[in-house]
Amino acid sequence: MGDFLRVAIAVAAKDLRVERRSKTALVSAMAFAALVLMIFNFARDAAALSREMLAPSALWITFAFSGVIALNRSFALEREHGALDGLLLAPVSRGALFFGKYLANLTFVLTVEAVALPLFVLFFGVDLSGALGGIVVTAILATAGFVAVGTVFAAMTVRTRFAELMLPLLVLPFLLPPVIGGVQITARLLAGRPMSEIAGWLRILALYDLVFVTLCLLLFPSLMDE
Amino acid sequence: MPVDPSANGGYLVAAYVVTAVILVGYALSLWRRAGKRG
Amino acid sequence: MTSESLAARRTVARGLGVIALGLAGLAAVYVLALGHTPVERFQGLPQKIFYVHVPAAWSALLAFSLVGIAGALYLWLRDPRLDLFAESTAEAGLVFSVVMLTTGPLWGKPVWGTWWTWDARLTLTLMLFFLFLGYRALRGALQDPSERARFSAVVGILGMVLVPFVHLSVYLFRTLHPQPIVLKPSSPSLPWEMLRTLLLSVGVYTVLLFGFVMTRYGLGRLERAGGADDAG
Repeated sequence: MGDFLRVAIAVAAKDLRVERRSKTALVSAMAFAALVLMIFNFARDAAALSREMLAPSALWITFAFSGVIALNRSFALEREHGALDGLLLAPVSRGALFFGKYLANLTFVLTVEAVALPLFVLFFGVDLSGALGGIVVTAILATAGFVAVGTVFAAMTVRTRFAELMLPLLVLPFLLPPVIGGVQITARLLAGRPMSEIAGWLRILALYDLVFVTLCLLLFPSLMDE
Repeated sequence: MPVDPSANGGYLVAAYVVTAVILVGYALSLWRRAGKRG
Repeated sequence: MTSESLAARRTVARGLGVIALGLAGLAAVYVLALGHTPVERFQGLPQKIFYVHVPAAWSALLAFSLVGIAGALYLWLRDPRLDLFAESTAEAGLVFSVVMLTTGPLWGKPVWGTWWTWDARLTLTLMLFFLFLGYRALRGALQDPSERARFSAVVGILGMVLVPFVHLSVYLFRTLHPQPIVLKPSSPSLPWEMLRTLLLSVGVYTVLLFGFVMTRYGLGRLERAGGADDAG
């Protein structure tokens, strides 16, 4: 167990260190998120649909699309430098490798979301009082699930020609439960609804995370076979 | 409220025709592939 | 001509036979549904679309589950025949989901006034359609057979596990936000004449699924054997 975590953290740290040096991907993803939010503001009939009504959807679609874009860079570096084989030659468990990549991706996507959230509050004039904690927890729960699936698919599609198209095509169906849950919970939190209405959705998100992180951890090694 | 039993027959016909076209069409495409392979 | 391609040829022939049987059964269903099944009182004639629509959904879902199970078995046993089976079943599943997605709106418009409803079954089938497409696209983009088989297996398994989550989410979404339309074709009080037509149709569709998969599988084997012939 100790080995597993050590390797995972080493892999994650390496990924994030590379990211920290160039920052290109991170800045681009954040800019993308901001742009999506901006488009949402204008992509409505202001007379019929208030900012408040659109807010939860805008937030979660921004999270979803920025997340998918961010996942694209997951194995891109390895592909560019042909480093994937080198990574695999290392005598480490594939599961630990996956978990490291997963942690790096999760950190990356959560960082983008952390920047998107204040922008969201600003652009949509949202009153977060009391809801902030809940929204943060929900964002982490929802993201944890789909990033696991996205990491597996990124590893697969990086070998294909139209990776930037393949990845979203494969991963978007898996975004349905996290996004549905995320929007339902966010809308209720912003409206000040009681916890009882939210608990069910939170449970689904948690179950989704448990099931898919475990499954992806178990399945990833077969992707890396030779 | 019960409807006139003969109304909207067009949709019914369309659906049954589309279904047949799709299923028979796929069957025919498989048959053609088999024929090509000898 | 190797024994391999002979066996494959036989599978194709048998598969085509099963399909022919299935299509004959389909004709029988049509006659039964159109001529010998009572017209539903509240929906009128379009309700009969139910008999070609619901079995298609069932077949698509069945196909999808089989793809997932075959994928899991492949990862365990590494038998390429399992991968070919999954590929064949995914293709058939795609066909049935197209049937479902075209007949659904044709039923919805006259009966509920709208071409599309986001009820659990339609939404799920639409998602299955996209998963089948993604599965095909991924397979098309991978050259190495072992890689293709392993990757497809993973997609199939993940997709299969996704189905109950989407079903649950959409169901909860709808009960909290009652939509004006709710599809309730399988009401417990389905009269016998309607039930028997439905059951026959489900049986026929299952036979068709079996025939499609068998034929496609045989064709796949034939192509692989043919390749060996040319090379040898």
